[in-house]
Amino acid sequence: MGRSQRNQLTALLLLVLAAIIPTPSHADDAGLVLSAGVSHKFSKKLSVGAEAEFRSRNDFRTAERVSLGADASYKFLPWLKASAGYVLLFDNNREEITYQDDGVNYNNWRPSYWGVRHRFNVSLTGSYKIQRVELSLRERWQYTYRPSKVIDNFDFDEAMWEDHEVRGKGKNVLRSRLQVEWDIPKCKFDPFANVEFYTRSGLDKTRMHLGVNHTIKKKHSFQAFYRYQIVNSSSDTEGDIHMLGLGYTYKF
Amino acid sequence: MKRILHYSLFLTLLSLVATSCVNDDTDFDDIIAQYQMEPAEIKLDYSELTEAADVPVTDENDSAYNDYVENSPWNKIIYITFGGPSPVVEGTVPGVAVQTNGNHVTVMNISGPVKFVVSGRTTDGSLKFYGDKRFQLLLNGAEITNPHGAAINNQGSKSMYVVLAEGSVNRLQDGTFYTMVDEEDQKAALFSEGQIIFSGKGQLDVIAEGRGGIRSDDYIRIRPGVKINVYSSALDGLRANDGIIVDGGAVNVATTGAGAKGVRSGGEMTINGGRLVAISQGDTRLGANDDGDSDTTACAALVCDTLLTVNAGVVKLKATGDGGKGLNAKQNVIVNDGHFQAVATGTKEMKKPKGVKIDGSFYIKGGYFYSYSRRSDPLDVAGATSIAPGYITYQLTAKLLTIAY
Repeated sequence: MGRSQRNQLTALLLLVLAAIIPTPSHADDAGLVLSAGVSHKFSKKLSVGAEAEFRSRNDFRTAERVSLGADASYKFLPWLKASAGYVLLFDNNREEITYQDDGVNYNNWRPSYWGVRHRFNVSLTGSYKIQRVELSLRERWQYTYRPSKVIDNFDFDEAMWEDHEVRGKGKNVLRSRLQVEWDIPKCKFDPFANVEFYTRSGLDKTRMHLGVNHTIKKKHSFQAFYRYQIVNSSSDTEGDIHMLGLGYTYKF
Repeated sequence: MKRILHYSLFLTLLSLVATSCVNDDTDFDDIIAQYQMEPAEIKLDYSELTEAADVPVTDENDSAYNDYVENSPWNKIIYITFGGPSPVVEGTVPGVAVQTNGNHVTVMNISGPVKFVVSGRTTDGSLKFYGDKRFQLLLNGAEITNPHGAAINNQGSKSMYVVLAEGSVNRLQDGTFYTMVDEEDQKAALFSEGQIIFSGKGQLDVIAEGRGGIRSDDYIRIRPGVKINVYSSALDGLRANDGIIVDGGAVNVATTGAGAKGVRSGGEMTINGGRLVAISQGDTRLGANDDGDSDTTACAALVCDTLLTVNAGVVKLKATGDGGKGLNAKQNVIVNDGHFQAVATGTKEMKKPKGVKIDGSFYIKGGYFYSYSRRSDPLDVAGATSIAPGYITYQLTAKLLTIAY
């Protein structure tokens, strides 16, 4: 790739990012994503991994999630990879406040609570290299099951605390991620950018990442990124959030 | 250098994780404390009440002149004593006929002011009065139960002076089912077409199981010194079509019937003294209106269809049933002085419970006012609210309003 081509690609990448990253709002939240994992390649085609992750919200002040996951991936073709994984999630569910019909007086308050979820996923990733730029598209079906749990709820009508059962339910989501990764010659840092759409009956959520990967001696892999997440679904208790992420993977 | 960098990064991450322990919930502590605040305790009060001397009106031009039993001559006296298969009737008065059927006594009075002194006990008896002449009913240890209707029924439209003999305890009770007489009302265990004026220094207990406790199709006046306890498991406890005046006395009213009111005044109600405690425990009643459509009637400790004025005394109201109101005033309420408390702790399945609900305006100029609603605003005023300056306490929370002068 010549210098002019590189410049054109960089400009294109910046234009795409400028288009997809909206202007941050002061009302948006901010948080952190930290992860640490291990991975092992049994062959050129088969690899397995495990990862622990921590997330925060509320301008980095409140823990939101701790998770433990494992996955396996298999490369059917040099450009096509399939993977499957399981994640055990411990979520700090946000509080929920409902109001009376007048929209002013409180009806119920369900404080935040910690709960468990089980997540399964299968993915197909197709990639295509144009010289040093790799484009990839990952389609992931994700099923998350939340077991029922009895939690506290304050009923303002009754002026009392009462037990509230959060019913168990499953949720299917299709995640579509389009990514651009750039292998810069003689540079130890590989930048990447992606946009991911979460779809159920409609578009639920959009995530955008801008980050770099850095590998030392092929064993220690680091990743740093900025994430902006836009929540489209009104039923979701999540809000729009800016996140900073750091990850480490030990490969053996 | 690299090691220092790694350690610094590790410590930074560690501190970020460690500081992520703040709860991001809304701070509801104060609000929940307000919601969970227990209201003032209101219960039937049988304690002795110290009252100022009851001075009768002596000015004949005063509209209340005729409400004072002292202002009529009572030299015509008939004694009715229960205790046997039929009562002992002593004394004769021209123009007064007393008939007995077992212990059911019917009096026809066309004479004028006559005093009936009633005592003794019957479990199947009653007193019924005809004639448009005022009369005095001196209860001196009377205990009358009528399983088929009202214990005392005055069909006359003139004043019935119910005088409770000093130190006496009297008891009136109706039955679950009333045997009705054509073109005659009997709306309560103690019923009168005319006004009822209570006086004396005795006690009257009224137990209503079929209909109301005490009811007048005219007005009711309660004078200092009396002790009246009404317990109704059916309809309203104490009710008057044309108004209620409480000058004094210790009055307890408890109702448990669905839709029943502790006290209901169809006309102006004025409280000049004494102590009135009304507790309504019933839920909202589901019925039908005149057009046959389904309709709901909520309970209330006190309902006043027109002006309610509190000049002095103690008024304590409590509703515990679904949709129950402490006070449900259809027009204006004026608190000039006295001690007023209303509490609503019921659910709101069919109706909204409220400590005080006023369809007109609310004026407070003195005294003490307290209203608590567990499941809604403490004070609901459709019209204007006027709080005169000079109060020493004004406390308004989600559930409670207190104003004290």
